[in-house]
Amino acid sequence: MAANIKQIHAKVLKSFSTNNPGTTALLAQAKLALIEAGLLVPVGEHHEQELIYARDILEIGAFWSIRVKDVPSFDRYFSQLQTFYSDYDGAIRPSDRKYALTGLNLIRLLTQNRISDFHTILESLPPETLQDNKFIRHPVNLERWLMEGSYSKVWNAREEAPAAEYRIFVDSLMGTIRNEIASCEEAAYNSLPMKDAETLLFFHNQQDLMAFTQKRGWQPDLIRHVFTFPSKADDKTAEIPSRKIIAQALTCAKELEQIV
Amino acid sequence: MASKDVEMKPLTLDTDVEVKDKEKEKEKETVVKLTPAQEIKANVGMIQRGVSSMEPRFAHRVLRTLTGLRKMLTAEIISQAIDENLVKDGPAAKALKCYLQDSPSSMDVDTTSSSSASKDLPEVEMYLRLLLIHYLLSTPNNDSRKSALVLAKETVGKIQALNRRTMDPIGAKIWWAYGRAYEVVEDVQLAALRPELLAAQRTAALRRDDDTQAALINLLLRNYLHYNLFSQADKFISKTNFPQSAGNPQLARNHFYLGRIKAVQLSYTQAHTQFQQAIRRAPPATTAPGFYQAVHKFFIVVELLMGEIPERQMFRHVVLEKPLKPYAEIVRAVRAGSLSQFQATLQNYTAQFTADSTLTLLSRLRQNVIKTGLRKLSLAYSRISLRDICLKLHLESEEDAEYVVGKAIRDGVIEASIVHERGWMVQKGYELEPDETTHGGRHKAGPGNAKKAALNLGGKPSQGGETLIRSQGETGFMRGYGPEVVDVFGRRITFCLQLHNESVRAMRYPLNAHRKELVSVQAALEREKELSREVMRGEHDDDDDALGDL
Repeated sequence: MAANIKQIHAKVLKSFSTNNPGTTALLAQAKLALIEAGLLVPVGEHHEQELIYARDILEIGAFWSIRVKDVPSFDRYFSQLQTFYSDYDGAIRPSDRKYALTGLNLIRLLTQNRISDFHTILESLPPETLQDNKFIRHPVNLERWLMEGSYSKVWNAREEAPAAEYRIFVDSLMGTIRNEIASCEEAAYNSLPMKDAETLLFFHNQQDLMAFTQKRGWQPDLIRHVFTFPSKADDKTAEIPSRKIIAQALTCAKELEQIV
Repeated sequence: MASKDVEMKPLTLDTDVEVKDKEKEKEKETVVKLTPAQEIKANVGMIQRGVSSMEPRFAHRVLRTLTGLRKMLTAEIISQAIDENLVKDGPAAKALKCYLQDSPSSMDVDTTSSSSASKDLPEVEMYLRLLLIHYLLSTPNNDSRKSALVLAKETVGKIQALNRRTMDPIGAKIWWAYGRAYEVVEDVQLAALRPELLAAQRTAALRRDDDTQAALINLLLRNYLHYNLFSQADKFISKTNFPQSAGNPQLARNHFYLGRIKAVQLSYTQAHTQFQQAIRRAPPATTAPGFYQAVHKFFIVVELLMGEIPERQMFRHVVLEKPLKPYAEIVRAVRAGSLSQFQATLQNYTAQFTADSTLTLLSRLRQNVIKTGLRKLSLAYSRISLRDICLKLHLESEEDAEYVVGKAIRDGVIEASIVHERGWMVQKGYELEPDETTHGGRHKAGPGNAKKAALNLGGKPSQGGETLIRSQGETGFMRGYGPEVVDVFGRRITFCLQLHNESVRAMRYPLNAHRKELVSVQAALEREKELSREVMRGEHDDDDDALGDL
């Protein structure tokens, strides 16, 4: 059985390194083999080398899913890897790809705006890796800049990705950022010159800008070359929540009745 | 004895010895009345009474003295207690005795067959075992601590086999001691305990054994948090119900753990309530200083993350002053909105923050520091150029400043708007008409000067007269009573009512006590009747007299 796994491992590795499109099919086969050997979710006793092969295959699967832009599949691979990373920590030698994958996962959470999951994962990492590990440092910095609003730094950092796979997420991240910036601008400006809107939103040509602003409902003023924003719900009529107050008063009365 | 209500040992370890010494002295003053052996004897009597009357109350009262007792235990006292309270040379006594001997080889004695034949009350045996475990744990040598672990493991197995409801409170304590043993003994993996705890937790839940369940849930949470497994801990919580009838110390711990999980997940408001509850439920600061300090550390961080500034009084508390010093400095930096000071403090105390496991939470504060700085600026200036903001907040570029300000405005941190063409941030209510921009004619700079000096933000109003100083009164401070006030008021009322109801429910009504009252009520009724009869008669007499007079 071990020999079988070893063969498949070698095959997958080769196919992955040559960027062969058949890797997806090969990975499916590999997973079947892993299940047969009881290694996909390890049950019982296994040889260390076998566990490492299984982990390698899953890691390659995770990277491959990113390359073919299949994020849900990445998610599955990553959760399967958790068993190897946390439960077998110390039992088998640590993986070199662990932090690269964790970093990727962090970025994914960031693009999906799942900040609380993001922080939960950060908390479980050793504190020194947050600063020292280049794979982890990148998403950590991105999150910090996003939170304080230094969007231009995020924009500039998009080229500094520590691994090629990170680039995949950059596009969706930029989409998130543009929307963030736009919502900030709606609140912060009364009117905004078109030229400046273009630079602020990191657009390179007017057409993209127009398409984007139309989606958000900004009104272009072509004479003064400025955007005006759809009026926010300014006229919040001070409504008295009468039902709620009545309900509160009634409960109070009931309780008081019981006490007296 | 109320001052030693609670045992909070695990967390006291990492804190000031000074406070502990004081606490010990106090303890000595209060407990001189009984020698430890006598106290154990009395406690055993109480346990027997509790078992015969099926009242868990007695067991709780016995366990309350545990903290004080624990510190005075010696090998002699325990062996004396075993002699006095267990059948002499019975299997139970023998089993315990062999743990007291120093040579670890004697521990191989077969101890499993003990309880079946003995006439000892199992609760008493367990109590003595608990004392013994605590004694062994408190010894400095690792071997005897290990034997405590062995003893605890064996005891836990026995408790599960016996399955007696009267043993629950003691059982919970033994589980807790077992978990503690795992932490104290070197070269034992704490994670190895988890499956065992999970199994026991299921059993306890099925047996509706609230005390043990509470202890086990907390042990598990503690275990998860030790390894920073927050998502697992969160899933565990969503699958279990913490028994509300659990004692205060366990409740306080549970609140503390929940608060930590919530804080990591960015639900600061919930975390804040949890920590607040933990502080309220915790024993007095001098009794369990470690717990009190640990909760306050997190409490302060969460409060800062919510954008609030903790009260200064907190940092002057006797127990809190010293350990909270780094946190006080962080608070100062956040209050001042100074990024450089904040970073420096974070650097200086990295070791301590890591030990408190607050470092990652604290590093999230960076954005709050910027926001506070911005808010200060927006309070002091009605108009300020982005360049000045950039300089004052140590941001890297004007471009950044524009985004940061924009975000702050959207998040409602400041009420202002940006005039992009001129690179200004303008306070709400101070926006100028396009043709008025050259000079802020509407606003007088006079009265605000003093205020600006007081705020001492440094830097002079730059770029000519463009930075106007805001005169007070036009904006802000104008909020009337909105629905929030009603909400808060309503919440307070509900809290008070709940408190009242709970205290009513917590009152104790001894069995058949109402009979006695009934008798007295009957007597009172009789008396009243008598009285009224008398009065009637008297009235008649009066009438007679009056008539007579006439």
